[in-house]
Amino acid sequence: MDIQLLFSGVIFGLSLASIYFLISIGLSLCFGLMRIISLDQLLYYSIGAYITYSVVTVSNNFWLGIIAGVMVGGLVAFIVERLIFRRIYERELTFSMITSFGILLGGIGIIKAIWGVIPRPIKPPFANQIDLLGTDVPAYRILVIAIAGLVYIGIWLFLNKTIIGKAIRAGIEDMNHVEGLGINASRLFTITFVLAGALSALGGGLYAPLIMVDPSMGLEILAFVFMVVIIGGLGSIKGTLISSIIVGQVVSIGSLIYAPLAIMAPFAMMLIILLIKPTGLYGNKLNK
Amino acid sequence: MLNAWRWWRGIIIAFSLVAIGRLFLPLPFVNEVLIFSIYTIGCNFLLGRVGFISFGQPAYLAIGAYGTAFYLFYFGTNPYIGILAGVTAGFIFALIVAPLFVRLRSDYFALVNLALAVIIFYMMQKVLVKITKGDNGLWFLTNITSTPILDLTKPSDFFIFALLIAIVLWAFYKYVDGTIFGACCLATKINETKFQFLGYSNFRIRLMAFVIANTSTALAGCLYAVYLGSVSPEITSPSRTADPIVVTILGGVGTLFGPLVGTIAYTGLRDVISKMIGNWELFIGFILVFIMLTNSSGLYGGAENALNKWLEKARVSNLNKKKPK
Repeated sequence: MDIQLLFSGVIFGLSLASIYFLISIGLSLCFGLMRIISLDQLLYYSIGAYITYSVVTVSNNFWLGIIAGVMVGGLVAFIVERLIFRRIYERELTFSMITSFGILLGGIGIIKAIWGVIPRPIKPPFANQIDLLGTDVPAYRILVIAIAGLVYIGIWLFLNKTIIGKAIRAGIEDMNHVEGLGINASRLFTITFVLAGALSALGGGLYAPLIMVDPSMGLEILAFVFMVVIIGGLGSIKGTLISSIIVGQVVSIGSLIYAPLAIMAPFAMMLIILLIKPTGLYGNKLNK
Repeated sequence: MLNAWRWWRGIIIAFSLVAIGRLFLPLPFVNEVLIFSIYTIGCNFLLGRVGFISFGQPAYLAIGAYGTAFYLFYFGTNPYIGILAGVTAGFIFALIVAPLFVRLRSDYFALVNLALAVIIFYMMQKVLVKITKGDNGLWFLTNITSTPILDLTKPSDFFIFALLIAIVLWAFYKYVDGTIFGACCLATKINETKFQFLGYSNFRIRLMAFVIANTSTALAGCLYAVYLGSVSPEITSPSRTADPIVVTILGGVGTLFGPLVGTIAYTGLRDVISKMIGNWELFIGFILVFIMLTNSSGLYGGAENALNKWLEKARVSNLNKKKPK
């Protein structure tokens, strides 16, 4: 295979991996701390993309759009957490799954009512190509990868260097002890949920120029985000990073070899990994 | 004789009501209700008896539908053999994926099933486009020949056939609930460690339950294929994965007639609401969240509880009346 083609394939895969990472990190954090499966992260992803679209068409400033998208995504996550998730933390896992799927469907309905069903394009902030090792790659994709890298470093610092982050990590280990130490659990949950929602919205806003914005965009990416979370193991941040890179590369390189492979290969890989280790690469047995 | 009547009573009453509904409701609606409730009962069994929540039921539905469709489109013309082919395909498919899936924890199970549904969707839409004709779907209504006794090409005869199938299926599930196997299913849901301790294999029980539930889901797919005379990848599209779950919860999880009541409510509401506002997902989403938050046991479940409470009250007051004498 052409080495230049391969290289641009790798860059393409990394940019996909960045988007997958931004969305699945929220799912993973929510599962780790609150033991819920929050499918509505895909809703904040769509909301982020749509708000970005609206602000960009009005103000013509892409970065303003991204910031607005992240803020609105976080705000909606806050409202949903306060109104709905607050009541179901104690329940079984499947319970949160069904409820959050209901929220996702309802949210998609609202998006359809506001913006209509027609897919809408967003112009990337810059369309120039960068010459990297003799290969032309779109500068915007490099930027997406860089932002995802920054987010990973930011999350790592947040979880390891701040008190709230340390409390979240301790909560993933044992929530009862954390509460016993006098840390406000419900505030911790809210912070984590809003953080997860804002990151999903960021992913949506960043991905919007690369695809069309349409109401079912959340459902389209759902399967891939799930594969990332399952392969990495629910509740593990390092696992999420590694598996998002794996899935991104498999999709990208696979589509270079044989187009339908892009969708089939990650699934086959997921099955094999689950056969060997039913909890994913970095997941551990959790009791609930 | 009396015991047999008692056993069959519920099923016969329920389906006689459906048969009476046939007289004054439009035929496509009743047929849709029958097929959809057959589709849902597998999901209901998995969720209510075995504790598996499956967002991937459309995958098994599609396998059954495409099994029938391939037979009727490429090979033969007899709809009964087509249905048999579809059910066999569904059975074999469930048997292949079951050992992989039932080892998983309930949350992973749901996620993997959803992924499976999406994969099947893409396979039918893009990968196998040469034999499935992609988004256009397979059209074989004219290929189906008329059969002597029950002519499945006529919607009115199809209704009788679907009704018979539904009665048999409901009786089967009721029978399963009463057997040791049914009790075992419930036991793996409630306490798998203790169940293992008693000397049973969780894996084997779950495998059997999974195969049974998904074979009956595939059967619904076959009925869809024969009834509509066409199959397209739309049948397993990601936005429809939650339908059986919604109906199960709407009707009441784990109850025998929950799927039937839920389906009637769901299909009726869908027809009414999509005529009025056209924004269907919004409504379903809110119903789902509302039922989950209020922690109600669904339409049929709620009615059953109220009925039992009322009967109990009547019994107690009868006893109280007798006591003074």
